[in-house]
Amino acid sequence: MMSEELFKRLTKAVNEHNDAVLITITNLPEISFIGAKIILYKDGTLYDESKMPQDFQQKIIENCLPLLEQKKTKTIDVVYRNTHIECYVEIFPVPPHLIVAGAGHVSEPVAEVGKMLGFYVTVIDDRKEFANTKKFPYADEVVCSSYIDFFRNVPITSETYILLLTRGHKFDVVSLQELLKREEMLDVEERTVYIGMIGSRRRISGVFEQLKDEFTDHNFINIYSPVGLDVGAQTPVEIAISILAEILKVKNQASGSSLKEKISSYSKLIFRERSRK
Amino acid sequence: MNKIDFYEKVMSARKESKRAAVATIIRTKGSIPRETGAKMIIYSDGDIDGTIGGGCGEGEVIEKSFAVIERGIPMQHQVDLTQGLFYEDGGICGGIMDVFIEPIQ
Repeated sequence: MMSEELFKRLTKAVNEHNDAVLITITNLPEISFIGAKIILYKDGTLYDESKMPQDFQQKIIENCLPLLEQKKTKTIDVVYRNTHIECYVEIFPVPPHLIVAGAGHVSEPVAEVGKMLGFYVTVIDDRKEFANTKKFPYADEVVCSSYIDFFRNVPITSETYILLLTRGHKFDVVSLQELLKREEMLDVEERTVYIGMIGSRRRISGVFEQLKDEFTDHNFINIYSPVGLDVGAQTPVEIAISILAEILKVKNQASGSSLKEKISSYSKLIFRERSRK
Repeated sequence: MNKIDFYEKVMSARKESKRAAVATIIRTKGSIPRETGAKMIIYSDGDIDGTIGGGCGEGEVIEKSFAVIERGIPMQHQVDLTQGLFYEDGGICGGIMDVFIEPIQ
């Protein structure tokens, strides 16, 4: 059962961008230990309230550390003194970061739905009247700063998703330039996987004509402009859904097409009854 | 809702001394509505938070959760969705999932 202290430690780990796993004993002959929980950190240290024997803790570390490294939630069987102990090993990943630059109409539903999807949401705008928590009750963080300063300093990783939705195209472009400058210094796998920038095809061609000479070491594959999947979005909420659908597609490395396309013909489908053991 | 948000709900239910259980999918086989790690809270009044896939499978788990809340002892329950096409709500899935249910107090 989750204790106050366990929860505090897990929250701290996530906030400090420190991956951790929560291990729950889900089955063993000694039923009083079922439900016992242990935290394992990346450096191989444990937090164990139920004070398990040291050689058992060692077994847990050996078996669970590889799962932490692979970020894989899984149930495993740990053999300890000839006893099978079933452990449910749950990864507590640092949530992906969604940065929304520009606090306009589209950004409101983007922040709200982004939060529902489990992102850590930051909204940034250089105007105080717009960058406030009243307008963005769902955002984890609302920042009022110049775009250039913000993008010069914000931590970026392959788990950062960035949306440039500012009021003027020039702000989007300076933000993008700042990001590209920083990304050029990083290895490709350390770069962000998604930078979405709103804008018409015509405007975008102007921007890239300039950028391609400025950034010769960047292949632009993580740039999505115009933003969103083509679902005919018009209203702010529709646009937000189209954008977040695109982000999910990128994050989950999926096709983004209708699932029905996997089925060639309904009339040729056959239902097979599964044989039971 | 991410995992920390989920456990925040669990902790606040604990603080308010609400009677509830947490159900987690710990193992799956075949086609099931949600993956290993999906969780929900079941309160003693029948309210729920989160989902482990809905439908009758979830209904079974909710039933079992009341017993877990009553007895205060965790248990496992296996949901089998491999039966025929017309298994009550349509049986859109065809797999098996193991669910661990634990009281929150």
